[in-house]
Amino acid sequence: MRISVLGSVSLHLFILFFTIVSLPLFNNDELEIPPVIQVELIEIAEKTNVPQISKKKEDKKPEKENKEEEQKLNQPIQKPKEEKSNEKVKDPSTEEKIENITTEEKMIQNMPVRKPEIKKKDKFDPLKLAELIDKQKDTKMDNPEEIIEKDYEALDSTPSLDKRLTLSEEDAIRAQFMRCWSIPLGIPYDDTMIVKIKVYLNTDGSLLKPPEVLQHERMNKPSEKYFRTLAESALRAVRRCDPIKVPDLEKYDNWKNLQMNFDPRKILRG
Amino acid sequence: MKKLLLYVFIAFNFSSISFAIIEIDITEGNREPIPLAISEFFHDNNSEIIDKKITENIRTVISDDLKRSGLFSTIDDKAFIQNNRAMHLKPRFADWRLIKAQGLLTGELSIEDDRLRVEFRLWDTFAEKEIEGLVLITTIDNWRRISHMIADKIYERLTGEEGYFDTRIVYVAEEGPKNKRIKKLAIMDQDGANHKFLTSGKELVLTPRFNPVRQEITYLSYFKNLPRVYLLNIQTGIQEVVGDFPGMTFAPRFSPDGGKIIMSLAREGNSDLYVMDLTTRIVERLTDSPAIDTSPSYSPDGKKITFNSDRGGSQQIYVMDSNGRNQKRISKEGGNYATPVWSPRGDLIAFTKFFQGQYFIGVMRTDGSGERLLTENWYQEAPSWSSNGRVLIFYRETKANDAGDGHSSSIWSIDLTGFNEREIITPVDASDPSWSKLIQ
Repeated sequence: MRISVLGSVSLHLFILFFTIVSLPLFNNDELEIPPVIQVELIEIAEKTNVPQISKKKEDKKPEKENKEEEQKLNQPIQKPKEEKSNEKVKDPSTEEKIENITTEEKMIQNMPVRKPEIKKKDKFDPLKLAELIDKQKDTKMDNPEEIIEKDYEALDSTPSLDKRLTLSEEDAIRAQFMRCWSIPLGIPYDDTMIVKIKVYLNTDGSLLKPPEVLQHERMNKPSEKYFRTLAESALRAVRRCDPIKVPDLEKYDNWKNLQMNFDPRKILRG
Repeated sequence: MKKLLLYVFIAFNFSSISFAIIEIDITEGNREPIPLAISEFFHDNNSEIIDKKITENIRTVISDDLKRSGLFSTIDDKAFIQNNRAMHLKPRFADWRLIKAQGLLTGELSIEDDRLRVEFRLWDTFAEKEIEGLVLITTIDNWRRISHMIADKIYERLTGEEGYFDTRIVYVAEEGPKNKRIKKLAIMDQDGANHKFLTSGKELVLTPRFNPVRQEITYLSYFKNLPRVYLLNIQTGIQEVVGDFPGMTFAPRFSPDGGKIIMSLAREGNSDLYVMDLTTRIVERLTDSPAIDTSPSYSPDGKKITFNSDRGGSQQIYVMDSNGRNQKRISKEGGNYATPVWSPRGDLIAFTKFFQGQYFIGVMRTDGSGERLLTENWYQEAPSWSSNGRVLIFYRETKANDAGDGHSSSIWSIDLTGFNEREIITPVDASDPSWSKLIQ
């Protein structure tokens, strides 16, 4: 009995081992390694990117939605325009998000009854699946953890991934400034000859306030007269381009402040 | 603990705001000339002293200087919207921006103690501020120099580089048939005005060179059929021979401080480089090779000398220390090289190159790298730098036809970028130009 069991086991093991080791050997065809395609990940135009706002709308479909609030959600773009008159730079996305939270908070107050219902439902009833989904949607908003997470999101004012400027949008801005900039060709080559200018824009692409040279300490040094000339030419370019044609308003957050690096070094080197 | 984590998280998120701004690099720009509006200079009722001509001429000279540089264009005054005198105090910038002027020049003239007082202001129409303003007082006849000085100020303020308009050019004026050519020294402003001959033409003259600090030129002239290096004071007209050498001396050039002359001295078929101190008259030998060493030129700091020599079999450019040590060939590409001249900026050496039957004017870095040929022609040579190291002048000859007619030579200028090639009009044929520094 033991022998037969051992024999059987060892035979089985042998077959298993043979299968693993030898089967691929029968196949002598050389493995075709697919050609390596280098893929560079870039930001593409927003049409192919699902806008963040529309995603949010899908997520949040409270049944008893206040229509006014919905409108606000759908038109966050208009916000900055109102600010323009106040001459203040606010972060509209933050505002929008805070607004969302207040909406959510209101909803919590409006629907206190449903919350315990779901918690009590331990048994899974496939017939009431649809109902369950509906309610989960509602409860999603009610979950306090979720709200805290939203809170973080509201505090995060860094540009989100799908609102970032695409390469083509950046290029469009760059091209405009290139046309406006008359390079002072007389400046001798120097590795430090680069002017960084911060530009503040309104929603229509006009200048919100005068452009700032970030290296302002170099502007008034008598030994830096070439830098001053370069900086002045760059400032002229920014003003000459005013107003610029701007990318999508949805991305206003990302392009309302821009840093333009005017770098003539390659040209001056010859 | 949770709270602490929350704060850390919030702090982290806020700290990243500063990195959020999008940076856009602008590495190219518009190379079109910068459009400027040069308005006529206003003046009170001094019409018996300041005639309309002077006000017009000042404006024309400034405009022409700036346009010739290739870096500026001027806007026709018919397009001007604001024409009143108020613009000299506070221009209506929007009106000037509308006609695409990036800069505006306004000015006023008046007479003070029989002297001409010229006040000008340069405005940045986009920044809406005055960026340069100056008052110059001179004799009325001197209006042309004043105009060049104003053009220099504008050029300097907008390009960051010293101007070169208040300068002069000395050259060899040529007349007569090719086999019986009369060659005289002539001098003129860089725009061709105030032309005058300095020598009578009895003796052949060649290679005039300006002293960088004094109103003085050195040149080569033949005396008893022997070429000799001479010095000529432009103001006094006094002329003298530099040293008394047993052989021929040629290709003279001043040191950057104007105190020495470096030249070639030929003896028994071999020519070497010598330097002479003009105060002590002590002569020092710098090279000692059996080949022909000639066309020396100092670096602006006076520490190095570039010259050409055929010691390697063909004519090439060499660089050495000012005491003659560390001689090293720098020209590397094919062809023959001649007349190296060190840029006043110190970073480049200009030269004439002969390659495949054509003559080129080009520049290279001081180690011989980065050779760039700026212009090509049937025959051209002898580049000379503008005081700011931005423009080169040289002379070019046209080919005579089979009947022997049509030969001429003229002075041309070209920008360091290889653009903006222009002829400088002279009353007679011209060769071998030398450009002065800014007149002090």
